[in-house]
Amino acid sequence: MPSLVEFLQSIVNGVGVGLIYGLVGIGFCVIYNASGIVNFAQGVFVMLGGMVCETLLSQLGIPLIVAVVLTIPLVAISGIVMELAIVRPMMHRGATLFAIILATLAAQIMIERITLLTFGDRPRTYHEFTTGGPLKIGDVAIGYQLFWILGCGALLVLLLWLFFTRTRTGRALRACSQNREAAQLLGIPVARMMLIAFALSAALGAIAGILVTPTQYTAYNVGTPFGVNGFIAAIIGGFGRAGGALAGGLLLGVLQALAIVALGAGFKNVAALSFLLVVLLFFPNGLFAGFGKSAKAH
Amino acid sequence: MSVPASDKGNVPLLEARDISASYGQVQALKPTSLHIAEGELVTILGPNGAGKTTLMRALTRLTASKGNLFFRGEDITGLSTHRLARRGIIMVQEGRGLFPQMSVRENLVIGAFLHSAETDAQMTSVFELFPRLKERLDQLAGSLSGGEQQMLAIGRALMAKPQLLMLDEPSLGLAPRVAFEILGTLRELNRRGIGILLVEQKAPLALKLAQRVYVIALGKIVAELKTDEIKSHHDLARYYLH
Ligand SMILES: Nc1ncnc2c1ncn2[C@@H]1O[C@H](COP(=O)(O)OP(=O)(O)OP(=O)(O)O)[C@@H](O)[C@H]1O
Ligand SMILES: [Mg+2]
Repeated sequence: MPSLVEFLQSIVNGVGVGLIYGLVGIGFCVIYNASGIVNFAQGVFVMLGGMVCETLLSQLGIPLIVAVVLTIPLVAISGIVMELAIVRPMMHRGATLFAIILATLAAQIMIERITLLTFGDRPRTYHEFTTGGPLKIGDVAIGYQLFWILGCGALLVLLLWLFFTRTRTGRALRACSQNREAAQLLGIPVARMMLIAFALSAALGAIAGILVTPTQYTAYNVGTPFGVNGFIAAIIGGFGRAGGALAGGLLLGVLQALAIVALGAGFKNVAALSFLLVVLLFFPNGLFAGFGKSAKAH
Repeated sequence: MSVPASDKGNVPLLEARDISASYGQVQALKPTSLHIAEGELVTILGPNGAGKTTLMRALTRLTASKGNLFFRGEDITGLSTHRLARRGIIMVQEGRGLFPQMSVRENLVIGAFLHSAETDAQMTSVFELFPRLKERLDQLAGSLSGGEQQMLAIGRALMAKPQLLMLDEPSLGLAPRVAFEILGTLRELNRRGIGILLVEQKAPLALKLAQRVYVIALGKIVAELKTDEIKSHHDLARYYLH
């Protein structure tokens, strides 16, 4: 039986990793809303975020803040390339969404392999943003990086909210998700909106990767678990709803952490997937879709 | 935008030459030519399935279509939907095409996507036409009544500052009085100089409103009538009941 301390500790850890899942989940939503595509290469952006940042730090010896400022646009460009090289040409040729989604999965595997061949399979990491810690509250230890994850995550969610509700481009993105044709008829360039969605989504993944790497490690293959868990978070939240994905991520992260202390590390994914199945059985449109449109409204 | 008086009436606002569209093997719109003059209100009349919506979608390139388009004499054949909107060709779709999960306010604000600096001024003038919208600013568009939705759809289109306003059956599903009100507003907009291309199945209303009528049947225009030349509705029925 886990002690109270273990229990609290796992909730703290779960919130941290859950926020990361939430960010990845929001990334899924942003692309899905703009294009109807589920981008299975979403996890790759998380991996690239950590790998690029680590490479810049270790190879160039530049300060962390500079590395971060360089990494985010670099990974965002990879999102743009993915849209231009894979998604757009397929759409122009009238490919079905299924085919495009499969292509994103292929892209994920390809990018992983290229990373493996270029960087090797050595796990990498870098120091926490603030050294020292962990902070002890009673017997519960909270690593300083968790505060960075929470702080940056919260800030990012706020910025995203402002972006989607207060800016011309953000509103236009939402308009595209609700009625693409009507958006075009009002002069919104839908193709450019998709490019923005891919860039934004990749940047979100990159930030998640940069934030999470000090708490674990990064390697060519960390993208898949983050991608899968982010995907689950998005589904739990009612696919396409950014707020739902965030809540779904937090829920999932805490649940996994609790499963680890209660049942052992091997049960992490069993717990996540059982949870997903239960949610889908009782709330086929996600936990947070009860009041609004169903997931397949368009 | 000002056009020299001498050009008015000579160069049409919009001219379509041999425009056609197909769904798979079926040519739902056969090569069709039409024009709308500056300041004109033109109605497209025709039975269900005649191809009215297809024609409107072909003109705005929502549906892939062949044929040439000219706007005030300029070739705009190659432009896609959102670029046509930049020229001032704005359409209210069949079924209104609102953003249902957004408030009335947000729908209007997005309407001014191309003119965001003028959002407030535009909104004020929309409220003058449709005061009802002002009372419902924070309501979700999807929860408005049918008439209010149509007002919002037209109001949103006006936010985009149309030179040519295209409407696909705005009166569909509305009570006669509300439909009459909406069509009256269109006449008012037309008086202010906006060219209007209107799909309208209610023939008496369409005839009263328009300066010219195109009758469409089986995917092509079968007649073009000046409304002041129509002596009796029997004339029209000859074409209409094909
Ligand atoms: N997406 C589509 N795929 C295949 N056929 C279509 C499609 N849309 C319309 N059609 C066909 O094209 C023809 C013209 O349809 P359209 O919607 O343009 O008619 P309409 O005049 O607007 O009719 P209504 O008055 O009912 O709105 C019809 O025979 C219709 O079945
Ligand atoms: Mg129609």
